[in-house]
Amino acid sequence: MPRSRSIVSSIRSLLVVLVLVAPAAYAAKDDKDPIVVQDPQYGEVLYYFYQEDYFPAIVRLLAAQEQQQLDDHAEDAELLLGGLYLSYGHHLEAAKIFEQMLADNVSVEIRDRTWFFLAKIWYQRGYYEKSEQALGFISGELPKNLQREATMLRGQMLIDSGEYDRAIALLQNWEGKTEWASYAKFNIGVALVRSGRVEEAQQLLNDLGNLDPFNEELASLRDKANLALGYALLQDGQTMAAKTSLQRVRLEGPFSNKALLGVGWADAEIGDYRRALVPWMELRGRDLLDSAVQESMLAIPFAMAKLDSISQAADHYLNAIEAFYEEANRLDQTIAHIESGELFDEFLSIDPSDSTGWYWKLEQLPEGPEARYLLHLLARHEFQEGLKNYRDLNYLHRNLDRWQGSVDVYANMLETRKQAYEERLPKVEDALARADLDDMVNQKLQFDSTLNNIENSHDWLALSTRSEFEMWGEISGLENTPALRADMPEAAEVRDKIHLLKGVLQWQLERDFNDRLWRIRRDLNDAGEALVATQRSRRQIDETMRNEPLRFEELSNRVYGLAPRIEGMKMRVDDALANQRAFLRSIAVGELQAQKQRLDIYTVQARFALAAIYDVAAREGEATE
Amino acid sequence: MTKTIIALIGAATLAFSMATLAQDNDEAESRDEFRSIDQDVQTLKKEVLDLNRDLFLLEEELLFPANSQVAFFISMDVGEYFELDAVNIKIDGKEVANYLYTAREADALIRGGVHRVHMANLKTGDHELVAIFTGKGPHIRDYRRGATLNFNKGIGAKYVELEITDRVKKQQPEFVIKEWE
Repeated sequence: MPRSRSIVSSIRSLLVVLVLVAPAAYAAKDDKDPIVVQDPQYGEVLYYFYQEDYFPAIVRLLAAQEQQQLDDHAEDAELLLGGLYLSYGHHLEAAKIFEQMLADNVSVEIRDRTWFFLAKIWYQRGYYEKSEQALGFISGELPKNLQREATMLRGQMLIDSGEYDRAIALLQNWEGKTEWASYAKFNIGVALVRSGRVEEAQQLLNDLGNLDPFNEELASLRDKANLALGYALLQDGQTMAAKTSLQRVRLEGPFSNKALLGVGWADAEIGDYRRALVPWMELRGRDLLDSAVQESMLAIPFAMAKLDSISQAADHYLNAIEAFYEEANRLDQTIAHIESGELFDEFLSIDPSDSTGWYWKLEQLPEGPEARYLLHLLARHEFQEGLKNYRDLNYLHRNLDRWQGSVDVYANMLETRKQAYEERLPKVEDALARADLDDMVNQKLQFDSTLNNIENSHDWLALSTRSEFEMWGEISGLENTPALRADMPEAAEVRDKIHLLKGVLQWQLERDFNDRLWRIRRDLNDAGEALVATQRSRRQIDETMRNEPLRFEELSNRVYGLAPRIEGMKMRVDDALANQRAFLRSIAVGELQAQKQRLDIYTVQARFALAAIYDVAAREGEATE
Repeated sequence: MTKTIIALIGAATLAFSMATLAQDNDEAESRDEFRSIDQDVQTLKKEVLDLNRDLFLLEEELLFPANSQVAFFISMDVGEYFELDAVNIKIDGKEVANYLYTAREADALIRGGVHRVHMANLKTGDHELVAIFTGKGPHIRDYRRGATLNFNKGIGAKYVELEITDRVKKQQPEFVIKEWE
């Protein structure tokens, strides 16, 4: 059913898929190249794909392929399937298709974009070797935005694997003045620090720390660079330089607490404890969850003690111990809630849309006490990717649940149909036995032959009606009456009348002969056609009677075979859900345990300092006595 | 003490500031664990998709056997002059489908998707299809139009497409019903 469309999209199906897969390249989705949809099933797959409902799109595509309904789109369909798998986050299966398809019959542009997205998904999912390999397959020029991302990905992988010099060499050639260039600079700084070239790193970070940011992202990067540089300088004993750098960090922002803490330590380092108290006191009113705020609660009494405000220092240490205790309790409650496993279902319930896919991302946490503790977990790839898997597994579980209900209904339906068929069968067989079709055919042939004879012999009497025939018989009978043979005028008159009547009747019969002949032949032809149709129906009935039990058996086998498959699959999905939940739980609990350990250490330090203060005070008291 | 604390904080903060790039041992371990689970999930996804394919085919075969199956599809070509809200379908005078489109679904149609709006089992022979489209026409006015098709159902599956196209000359939408063989 070829039909032409001038609508929408797609240079090739794959390109659309990849464009959708990459939010960064999303703008390109409005390509107006013509598409020709030649199979409705292909259009149906696109209908779900455009709604980002990848699961039903894949199922329909697989079903259409199985039924060979996509003959006009065979190659496109395979590429589309690969793209759908990729969008759905089914990256290993996507890679299998692409590895087969991308070998020779796809343009370099499509091939390179595909390898790029595979590299990205593999990096995020921790398949570093595969990611590196995929980047290596990129042979041509990617579009600029993807090219930048690919280079950054390469650089990150080199840094991760400790190949700092190669990372520096790669990132040093960065062209342009975009945010990407600044990120590249920052990453070079990281690589330099890690390879021990601190001085060079300082210079780079200093440049970044003085950049004029034109958006929030760059402002944040500038803060990050200043913070990293400030602490590096503090470690190196360059106190004043460190302070300058740390003071460049914005007062409100994700890095401000640590910067304020550092500024305080810079002042403390040169013995100006009074000045150090200014940023530290500012920290006191901030969120206690931040380690810099926690630390400031120890730093403040430390400075006060140095300034000989011993009793104030003791009060602050006591406040800190109490605050740490309360925070530790809250952490314990949160850990207990996370261990119950409910948290991850709450994660999914804040985004109730039924869609699945690789680029789904949890942007915010459900409201509750856990949110503040787990916020930065969202930045970790394995946590986000783990949540995606958890979400996908939940979808699979619901999907299998629905099918389980349907299959039960189908089993009942099939049984009912089978029963109805078995009940109807004897009646049908009886009716068929009574209808002798062969005899009917013979009769029809005899009628044909008789009619041909009548036509050939022009036997008009043979086509007379019953009354006409009886009348003809009566007249003929009267003709043969002996009395009428008498030679007398009355007899002659009756003979004439009979002769006239016979003539009139014959004239009428001969007049109607052709018309009657045509009508009878038409009825005979109709009867012949009806007989042919009946024979065809009979053959169909015979075929149905032969096939229906086999069909019932085949469908029963499928229905009853699928039920245990669903059940088995559900159990495996449940196991996988439990594993995935345990994994997410271990990351989240590990994160909170680390926070609690830090609080424990700070508490010990506070108690130790407090004891020391009491000790000094006691000794001073004894001395004055 | 100051020095020690500064050194500790310094190291921690530097590591923190480079957190997106640095992978410590714990993270490497959890990455390996994630990969192992992910591979299981990938295998499961494949198997559940294949199972869904089999179930989809079984369902269609059971509910709509090929010899009586008729599928009705909605599609749009361009869609400049018509914004689809709903479609109502009657077969032989009986209402069989009344589908209300979400913005997302309508967009999928405009972009080239084809929606299977109804499946039916029909006897062989002649049938009448009446489709009523409602939505917004030119100048965002409420628009309601019908289209009729008399079609013959033979042996084997039949597909009927209800297509909304633009008649550029008249700057009006056009509603066409086609039979796909």
